[in-house]
Amino acid sequence: MINSKNITDSDIQKKIDHEIRMREGTCKLLGACSQKDQALEASKSLLTCNTRILAYMSELQRMKEAQILQRATRRPSDSAPLDERLPCKGKVAISDLRIPLMWKDTEYFKNKGELHRCAVFCILQLGGEIHDTDMVMVDRTMTDICFDSTIIFQEACPGFELRMELYSCCSEDESSTGSASRKLASKLGSSLSRSSGKKFRSGLEPGGGSPVSNGGGAPLLLPAPSNSGPKYHLLAHTSLVMAHVQDAFRTHDLSITGNEECSYWLPLYGSACCRLVAQPRCMTEQMMSGRLKVKHLGGDSQSCKTTYSVLRGTKLFCYLQEDNVEAEVEPAFTIAINKETRIRATDKDPHGKAQSICISNRYGGEEVTHVLSAERREDTQRWMEAFWQHFYDMSQWKQCCDDLMKINVPLPRKPTAVMTKQGSLYHEMIIDTSDDIGTVTDILARRVKEESFLSHPEGPLHWMSLFGESPPPSHSLQGAGLSPHLYCRSPRDPGRHQRGQLSDSPGSPLFPRSRPRTLSLDAKLSSLRGRGYGSSPAQAPQPIPSCSSSTSSHSSSEGSTASETDSVPFPRSTTARSSLRNLRAKLDPRNWLQSQV
Amino acid sequence: MSFIPGQPVTAVVQRIEICKLRQCDNLILGFSIGGGIDQDPGQNPFSEDKTDKGIYVTRVSKGGPAEAAGLMIGDKIMQVNGWDMTMVTHDQARKRLTKKNEDVVRLLVTRKSLEDAVRNAMV
Repeated sequence: MINSKNITDSDIQKKIDHEIRMREGTCKLLGACSQKDQALEASKSLLTCNTRILAYMSELQRMKEAQILQRATRRPSDSAPLDERLPCKGKVAISDLRIPLMWKDTEYFKNKGELHRCAVFCILQLGGEIHDTDMVMVDRTMTDICFDSTIIFQEACPGFELRMELYSCCSEDESSTGSASRKLASKLGSSLSRSSGKKFRSGLEPGGGSPVSNGGGAPLLLPAPSNSGPKYHLLAHTSLVMAHVQDAFRTHDLSITGNEECSYWLPLYGSACCRLVAQPRCMTEQMMSGRLKVKHLGGDSQSCKTTYSVLRGTKLFCYLQEDNVEAEVEPAFTIAINKETRIRATDKDPHGKAQSICISNRYGGEEVTHVLSAERREDTQRWMEAFWQHFYDMSQWKQCCDDLMKINVPLPRKPTAVMTKQGSLYHEMIIDTSDDIGTVTDILARRVKEESFLSHPEGPLHWMSLFGESPPPSHSLQGAGLSPHLYCRSPRDPGRHQRGQLSDSPGSPLFPRSRPRTLSLDAKLSSLRGRGYGSSPAQAPQPIPSCSSSTSSHSSSEGSTASETDSVPFPRSTTARSSLRNLRAKLDPRNWLQSQV
Repeated sequence: MSFIPGQPVTAVVQRIEICKLRQCDNLILGFSIGGGIDQDPGQNPFSEDKTDKGIYVTRVSKGGPAEAAGLMIGDKIMQVNGWDMTMVTHDQARKRLTKKNEDVVRLLVTRKSLEDAVRNAMV
């Protein structure tokens, strides 16, 4: 008993050492990294490491205390009766974690100015296992915080408590992530002459590691651990227990710490949705197996089959041969073992050597009984013991034993190259070739007419001729969804058309295959972006093709604008027009213009 | 490919000479650019560093002059005919590429594969 405790002691010690090494490495990385994303990731790892170290240390403490207590009371170890029955352990998985946000509607729709962004992630703790989710950047264009990861805890008991903590850290767009000393160093280095600047900079270091200069750049200062870098703060937390386990999505309440004054504040709706499932071992593993003679009482007379039986989940599978189990052949028959089942041991007959086990189930209104007997008495005892343990497990794991809950482990996805900002739900536009182009052009024509009153000196409808030539994208306008930023220029000369054909996007189909109308914000954008940005431009959601690239319309801005400026100057590029173009382009802060040259 | 303010920018570049193609009244190069100091760098799909506000090639037309000259999608344009393109607005960049009195543009472009190739060669 004490020996086994020692083994686990050193296990925990090893884990602690490992985490401490990880923490040192992460601190170094934090001091060395220059990019905001790296710093946020490193800071997240640091927080997780610290949490794990704390957890392991407290577990170690508890074990040591238990040891001391045991030695003190001097419990006799030999004559200890069978320990009270312990339920089997199981796997607990939490997935599809989603936390709704509640922005003020004014903030959400106006969407002007700089975007206040926060980096958030969750730490999930069950027993001694601590996992963290990936980090997600959240700004006011998002309606929910979604974590795609599925987290699986391996050793959970029925009385588990899964503690979920949401951490967030404000990330300003403008400021760089350097420690103050590094910023100062680079400022001084640039203002002083190069050689004296270098000397000064190396003098500024806190005596840590050696300066690593990157080709004349500022040396990387190594700060003391846990000093520099972005700091995460606890924003909300909640605890989940077995009562919350269900093979479906459920909403749970969140306790929110922090208030609006904090920099890391996000307006949480106050609940979290997730899918929490549990797979107890008794449902997934073979609890007991062996040869049994099974007799079906009451049925076709005294047919006594010799089977190789396996107890797993809610059934006793009886195979004709042992090989059938691996070969995954269907069992000869199956006996249900669930909460309604009644089992008792009987003495078969006074002449018989072995005890036997009677299993009764109710199917419909009928009671069906099977009698199992093993070859030897000890085997029958072991089977009884297995059944009792199984029943105990089922009583402890309650609803988890009704049916096997599936744990979906998503395939590791390749990280999308682009995804830094996620699109706004309301500015997304879907293009579907099955849409009626007539209504689209009508609506667009009307809009352009309105706009033309403002600035266009010439007729606004020249671009409509484009629609005859090239397959047009269609449009599903949702009310006022079409943003007023739309800008269309009319090509003057038909020569432009031919050039448009030349600039056909290579290989890829011009316009999207039919896609479902409704889309779920982030997933859609990320899949679109991941498909390779430049090569399939037509698949990006587009409200309108730009005229100069008539066949490949690509604007990287999220949906609402198609302000593509044309480089080769139109013969009649009026000042009013260019100023309008600039204004339009600059109005939308989430624009990323592309120009054709 | 990002920069540290105050420090010289270094990059491994390739010279690309593009002869503009005349089509009726227009001179075209056959590619599209994105980026600029007035643009949002986070939306640039080609940049390694998402704070890089340089000018990137977002599309190269098939069979156009740029493709023939060896320009590739994702390239960052450092100079055009001697003019710097690492610190320009989008419109300035466009104008520098599309001067009507120039028939040829000489670009200096950089891409990750160039840096990798040089680094591997030096090892």
